[in-house]
Amino acid sequence: MFVSSYRVTKFAFQNFWRNFWLSIITVSMLLLTLVTINILLVLNVITDRAIELVEDRIEVSVYFYDYTEDTTVSAAVAYLRGLGQVRDVETVSADEAYTQFVTRHANDEEIMASLEELEENPFGPSLIVKAHRAEDFTQIIDALDNPQFRDSIREKDFSDYQNIVERIRSTTDRIRGFGIALAIIFLLIAILIVFNTVRIGIFIHREEIGIMRLVGASNWFIKAPFLLEMILLSLIAVGLTAIIVYPTVAFIEPQLSVYFSTESAGLVDYFTYNSLAIFGGQFLALVLVTLFSTGLAMRKYLKV
Amino acid sequence: MIRFKNVSKTYPPNVIGVEGISLHVKPGEFVSIVGKSGTGKSTLAKLLFAEERPTRGTIEIGGWDITHIHDRDIPLLRRQIGVVFQDFKLLPKKTVYENVAFALQVAGERPHRIREVVPKVLEIVNLENKLDRYPNQLSGGEQQRVAIGRALVHSPKILIADEPTGNLDTLNSREIMDLLSKINEFGTTIALVTHDRDMVNRLRRRVITLEDGKVVSDVEEGRYKL
Ligand SMILES: Nc1ncnc2c1ncn2[C@@H]1O[C@H](COP(=O)(O)OP(=O)(O)O)[C@@H](O)[C@H]1O
Ligand SMILES: [Mg+2]
Repeated sequence: MFVSSYRVTKFAFQNFWRNFWLSIITVSMLLLTLVTINILLVLNVITDRAIELVEDRIEVSVYFYDYTEDTTVSAAVAYLRGLGQVRDVETVSADEAYTQFVTRHANDEEIMASLEELEENPFGPSLIVKAHRAEDFTQIIDALDNPQFRDSIREKDFSDYQNIVERIRSTTDRIRGFGIALAIIFLLIAILIVFNTVRIGIFIHREEIGIMRLVGASNWFIKAPFLLEMILLSLIAVGLTAIIVYPTVAFIEPQLSVYFSTESAGLVDYFTYNSLAIFGGQFLALVLVTLFSTGLAMRKYLKV
Repeated sequence: MIRFKNVSKTYPPNVIGVEGISLHVKPGEFVSIVGKSGTGKSTLAKLLFAEERPTRGTIEIGGWDITHIHDRDIPLLRRQIGVVFQDFKLLPKKTVYENVAFALQVAGERPHRIREVVPKVLEIVNLENKLDRYPNQLSGGEQQRVAIGRALVHSPKILIADEPTGNLDTLNSREIMDLLSKINEFGTTIALVTHDRDMVNRLRRRVITLEDGKVVSDVEEGRYKL
């Protein structure tokens, strides 16, 4: 077994070199498919990151009337904290609101003057509510209709971030759909090309294969070189993909970070921490696909 | 060693290869199968090494019923039967040594065994000093000897030769026939397909004559009639 494994490997390499251009075309097509899939992965990471970032900034401001009791406010806080959708609640007391207003408008004499005319603090307490996801806000807003403090609330204010998130989603979904379609087309072409490469390989070696048959070569010995060659081509394709993906991702990451105004978009990290799953998975999937195609070609052209 | 019981082979759609063949070849025999072109001689040979399956009847080789032989068992059968053809079927890019070694390699033989067997076989076929030649550097007779050597690597019980001298001149043909006789003397059963009258007559061994796919005569120490 060991001895013939060595020979089978040798045969497989011979196949590779003898059909050098065919091997190149096959690898290129596999590569194209894999690169498309990896672009989809990059897109996924960026989308998640973008949505995360937007969601991070979403908050509902709840303004109470200035006469509202502290107990009502704390009841509202406790109630909101109890909701599953709520990530965080920040309380801004009436005094804090006043100080904040003053610092913000310190240079605007008109406003400061009118503020001074008022004898009392015109501001009421307010809450800043953060949610886990953009979709949660409608529910949070609805929840604030609770009769316990509904009447103390002067205003609920939130920008329509859900709309933004949905826009990001629908745009990336469209790109993703296109990418998936492209990947599927590439994959189908790759299957055809693998099929053809094996077919030509069988054709080139028909004499040798015929003689192998006559002298009693096992079927495994005849088939294995073709299978092994395709595993080899898959491995090369995945290797090249990794070689292309890492530098590219490392290059675009700083550019993206500008948009995200964070230190990193996490792309390099994503590909580094999941490298085994990503490239190992792609290798396995590719081997399955190419072996399937090789099997078909052998069934058709290698009558055993 | 070889037993055909009422064997017929029809090629699709309904071309008759052989029809109703019954015969028994004993171990160590040297049978010649003769007949005009297209009478089913090659079909008979192909049935022997399971290149074709019979449409009817049963075939036994060394007690093994190969009538419905499974694809995966064919390699095993082929390692017990040597085959030689008119066109030699050598690999042009391999040397004499490599061509013979190839038959052992594809059967998964170990290298030390290959280094042991190949020179012995090449000695039998008298090519021990042409190991490094390529087929195109050999005469037809020499090429056929390489093919015979390759057929012998598994020490087969049966050697099937389908018109082995068809491409050779008289001198080379005689050489090949002498070699086959020598191999037969070592105990290998030989089935020789030919339409070479002189060769068969010189042999003075059993002759089976086919006509339109049927056995029309089967005589010990026969002569090629027709
Ligand atoms: N693979 C095949 N398909 C169809 N017909 C075939 C095939 N092989 C042989 N035949 C037919 O079977 C008959 C016997 O052929 P063959 O055994 O080759 O004869 P021989 O070797 O005596 O010349 C011929 O009529 C031939 O045309
Ligand atoms: Mg013939």
